[in-house]
Amino acid sequence: MATDKTIMVELTDAFSDAISDVDVPSANRAEARIDSSKVTEIMQFLRDKGFDHLSCISGVDYPPDKMEVVYHVTSYSAPLVITLKATLPRDDPNIDSLCDIYWNANWYERETWEMFGIVFNDCPYLKVLILPEEMDGEWPMRRDYAGYPNAT
Amino acid sequence: MTHENTQITSPPSPSEILLHLGPQHPLQPGPFLLDLKIDGETIREAELKIGYIHKGMEKVFEDRTYIQIMPLTDRICYLASNANNDVYCRAVEELLGIEPTPRAKYLRVIANELNRIQSHLLGIGEYTTDVGFLTMFIYMVRERESIVSLLEAITGSRLNHNYARFGGVANDLPPNYKSMALKTLGEIGKLVKSHDEMMSSDSIYLKRTKGVGVLTDKVASELGVAGPPLRATGVEYDLRRIEPYLVYDDLDFKVITQQDGDVFSRVKVRLLEIQESIYIIEQCLDQIPSGPYKQHVTPYITRPKVGEVYTRIEDPRGELGMYLVSDGSNKPYRFRIRGPAFATAQALPPLLIGTYMADVAAIAASMDSCTSEVDR
Repeated sequence: MATDKTIMVELTDAFSDAISDVDVPSANRAEARIDSSKVTEIMQFLRDKGFDHLSCISGVDYPPDKMEVVYHVTSYSAPLVITLKATLPRDDPNIDSLCDIYWNANWYERETWEMFGIVFNDCPYLKVLILPEEMDGEWPMRRDYAGYPNAT
Repeated sequence: MTHENTQITSPPSPSEILLHLGPQHPLQPGPFLLDLKIDGETIREAELKIGYIHKGMEKVFEDRTYIQIMPLTDRICYLASNANNDVYCRAVEELLGIEPTPRAKYLRVIANELNRIQSHLLGIGEYTTDVGFLTMFIYMVRERESIVSLLEAITGSRLNHNYARFGGVANDLPPNYKSMALKTLGEIGKLVKSHDEMMSSDSIYLKRTKGVGVLTDKVASELGVAGPPLRATGVEYDLRRIEPYLVYDDLDFKVITQQDGDVFSRVKVRLLEIQESIYIIEQCLDQIPSGPYKQHVTPYITRPKVGEVYTRIEDPRGELGMYLVSDGSNKPYRFRIRGPAFATAQALPPLLIGTYMADVAAIAASMDSCTSEVDR
């Protein structure tokens, strides 16, 4: 099991058309940009290679036209954290869900969906988690969010 | 593992009832709603609903300068405020390209470990009330009081410490701190050991906790939990050992593990970690170098370079990560908090299925959740 930075070479070899901007800034960190349509295959590959811990999923908004989903994948036995970034179009952001690969992706995806409006295809129970139900569809973490209408 | 075990999928049948545990309930560390579908005494389905104290911290931080964020990170979880300070501070330091002074690194480790002790003590205290062992709560809070006083002597405040600074810390140790700390820690170590013996030998307590809410190592890592609940299953996952930060490389300590993964083991891990933290602090007080405790000029107005960073720390409850994206201005572009309690809260409903109603409180409290941090 290669849970050190040689994994980035293996990953580039296996998905040469879906991986770009590979960078290894330090011994414990590596990052790459991935094609959003290949996210499940890449994550399955990493999981099979020993990266068994999905640390975090975050959304980042880059108006006017881009959004990013950032995955931090790591292992329970090694310090390397791989940061994978998938860029999505801002007018229709959607990406495949990782819930079948990493069980704990569910809440992270629900949170990213309710905050940014990024749709995770096939995510079970994609409904509001932290926000109240009346804020469903507000996408408050987008950079241009103007604020919830104050009804009082 | 499927996702159906996190939801209530169908309305209760005539033999079942739907029970709302919360959002306000005496056993809870904060408001959350645990919906349970029960058949007699057995839990068939469970669903956790959170968000009752959502503070929108990630959004707030996008509109604050870097140094203004420091006291706000305390409020992510008041029991782990030093861990929050420290991981945020290391993220900004990495972006700025500066290192804390050697003395500051030791001071931060001392504060972090004191923080871990007081968090574990209160966590165990709350848990013991939930299993009907109220006496132990009083003991634990009494012990915690002296640890909080030790923290107050360094940081100046009892709960929200606001201690780390970019490249250093806010205050140096007060005079005679070493003798004061060693005396208190020695006493606390003995007291916690005797409490541990009391808990381990009480037959009613053992019946209540042994073999209850069992997580296996495979299921626990599948569920993505970290911290004491994972180490109680035998997995040696401790970021202080796996990814040593500050001066943990130079310190001698064991990663505490237990094998059974039940409620008893999770609490036992915390009790033993208190002893290990005391040992770490004693080493730090011996080894701490003299010198400045902060940079010559502490950068208060910070404009880190464009870039991003993901730092992690071993919080009292598990793995705390912060993902910081800088666009070169004096405010973070994106600030993501990956809390340990969020991960353990997500793993709670599958753990409850098939257990008895009477064990819910014990299992939920043994995970040592922090609602403030789950909601952020």
